[in-house]
Amino acid sequence: MGTLEREAVVVTGARRGRFSFLVDREEWLGPLMIGPAVLYIVLVVGFPFFLALFYSVSSVTAGSRTLEFVGLKNFIGVVGTTKFQTSLKNTFIFAFVSQAVVIVLATVLALALLKDFKGKWVVRFLILLPWVAPISLGTIGWLWILDSIYSVINWTLEALGLISPETWPMWLGIPHLAMGSVITVHVWRLLPLATVILLGGLSSIPADIHDAAAVDGASFWRHLFQITMPLVRPIMLVALLFGLVFAFTDMIVIFVLTRGGPYDTTQVLASLAFFTGIQGGDLAEGAAIALFLFPLLLAAAIVFLRIARRAEVT
Amino acid sequence: MAEETVSRRDFIKATGAGALATGIGANIIIPGRAHAAKKTLKILNWVHFVPPYDEWFNKKYTKEWGEKNDTEVIVDNIGVAGVNPRAAAEVSAQKGHDLFLFNWPPPAFEEQTVDLKDVYQEVERKVGKPIELAVKSTYNPKTKKYYAFSPSFTPDPVNYRQDLFSQVGLPNGPRTWEEVRTAGAKIKKQFGNPVGIGLANEIDTGMAMRTIMYAFGAHEQDAAGNLTLNSKETLEAIKFVKALYGETMTAEVFTWDASSNNRAMLAGKCSLALNAISITRTAEKDNPDISRKIQLTKALRGPVRAIGLEHVMQCYAVWKFAENIDGAKKFLIDYTTDFRQAFVAGEYYDFPCFPKTVPDLKKLIANDPKAHPADKYKVLEDVLDWATNVGYPGYATAAVDEIFSTWVLNVMFAKAASGAVSPEDALKEADAAAKRIFGKWKEKGLI
Repeated sequence: MGTLEREAVVVTGARRGRFSFLVDREEWLGPLMIGPAVLYIVLVVGFPFFLALFYSVSSVTAGSRTLEFVGLKNFIGVVGTTKFQTSLKNTFIFAFVSQAVVIVLATVLALALLKDFKGKWVVRFLILLPWVAPISLGTIGWLWILDSIYSVINWTLEALGLISPETWPMWLGIPHLAMGSVITVHVWRLLPLATVILLGGLSSIPADIHDAAAVDGASFWRHLFQITMPLVRPIMLVALLFGLVFAFTDMIVIFVLTRGGPYDTTQVLASLAFFTGIQGGDLAEGAAIALFLFPLLLAAAIVFLRIARRAEVT
Repeated sequence: MAEETVSRRDFIKATGAGALATGIGANIIIPGRAHAAKKTLKILNWVHFVPPYDEWFNKKYTKEWGEKNDTEVIVDNIGVAGVNPRAAAEVSAQKGHDLFLFNWPPPAFEEQTVDLKDVYQEVERKVGKPIELAVKSTYNPKTKKYYAFSPSFTPDPVNYRQDLFSQVGLPNGPRTWEEVRTAGAKIKKQFGNPVGIGLANEIDTGMAMRTIMYAFGAHEQDAAGNLTLNSKETLEAIKFVKALYGETMTAEVFTWDASSNNRAMLAGKCSLALNAISITRTAEKDNPDISRKIQLTKALRGPVRAIGLEHVMQCYAVWKFAENIDGAKKFLIDYTTDFRQAFVAGEYYDFPCFPKTVPDLKKLIANDPKAHPADKYKVLEDVLDWATNVGYPGYATAAVDEIFSTWVLNVMFAKAASGAVSPEDALKEADAAAKRIFGKWKEKGLI
């Protein structure tokens, strides 16, 4: 052992002193490292979640702190209403359509970004931009793009002679256009996350599998469907799970663009929960609406994660 | 040893002097401590539509009031969309502002607010009675509590394009809802300018639809607070809105937010809108040409009456957990008594709920140098007589508030107007929703 090494050992030994038992013992070090994250989740996610659970079976209002247990009354009361049923249907359409589009586009983008080409970093930066920008600001930008008076899309189409002032599409005023618009903006928002996740999955596929297939004369589609997709499926399911949970629980895009309109045709459970609980003052019913899909989402999450684990390539 | 004993008198003298010295000394040595003894009054206001009002309120009025009352006044301003979430957060935390301004009646928060009956009484003693609109927006007849205090409201007159209406024979604008329909249709056909009354999930639509309902003799509730939505008058109002939409409007009204009608009028696109004077005030600053074209008229007559709604109802609540309840009440009394200053600073956006606080109101609005023409706002001189509250002819209750906030009536009118469902089905659906909401709040004991 040289002098320097000896000095290093001495210094390390001196520093280890008091906390060395933590570093040396895995049963302490592990919990210590993960502790802050667990604490964060308990405080920021767990506490509000259990509070919401409690609210949903109580009679609490925005202006009252008296909590009377009412069982499932809030759930039973709201389920039969037209507003709720419309919102439930819209939630599924919004979530499934947006996620289907996100997965297809993210796969295309990830495959493209896997290749080397000039300006790749610029493309990656642009794709990531919607994810890093505050969603409310981005959506306000979309609000102007889709505005009934100042829509740049309509102005462009009119300038190109494709539409007249009388035939301007009201992007947020006709039910199917409005649903299409909110889904488009949601896809724009979630695409970067799904792309990055899939890109990670694609990068981890060993090159020799593709090389071997290429030697055997496999076409692009055979590569895609018989090698890439099966191998990337676990990570794709994670992306899909994230995306679905976001789509089922988020209301920002809808709140900023349509507030559930026209006539509730884009109202989803998350936005209805906000309007009922916060704007309308019935916190208990708002909580019940917000939590209505929780069992379904939990089951979906378990199923997805199990499938992903089974499909994991080791 | 006798000299060394301390008598009771000496003891009191010594300790008293010591205590005094400690108090004064600490204040001399530590100025922060002297400052801390000063009272604090925390006020939450919205971001006013007329920016000079905030300048005056935040930097002048509250500072001067604070100096007079040895109080540090802290004013926070938030956007109107954040008012209810902020209120819910303060209630949840049991901490927040001493005075909390809602821009609409806040009946759902009643349990958390101080009864402001004494404030009403004191202001009434000083400057006379409030208008009925104020009381109906802040009083719960069931619990007999003033859950808020309303110093002012914003009128919701009809803004119309005089240049367009002149060309269809109505130079002074429409007087009835039927005229809006017939003249609006002609204007749309001849000039391409639709009527701009929202049919979306937003506040202005809620106000406009109720204005039409009330003019048609339809109401969510009667004077005693019983649900009365399902009536032939409501059905007539829905059928009228369906015809109005079909003949005079375009699908853009389904897309609108609360400021869209402002933008549409200022862009010269629409022939008529129901709004506060924010449209004309903006036009005066940014577009004098359009300002000259947009004029105001009073509430439109329907088959039953001519009636308009408040556009914004300024309702101050004092939380039970507020730290300076007395200061908050004192501020309310002084602010309302001095309301003329606020009226001028807000460029006549907010009208007094205690009419005698602005004795020269008619004179002021009849000659506004910024207006085109100077007497543009004269039509508002009797607005205190024709403006009413959400929930008319009853009080603004928690049930009425939830119906308003969850857009039950907006959706009812929009669905029927678009043809998505028949007027009868739209009414049936809204009535079912309203019944459930009324039932809920009855159970909670607030109506």
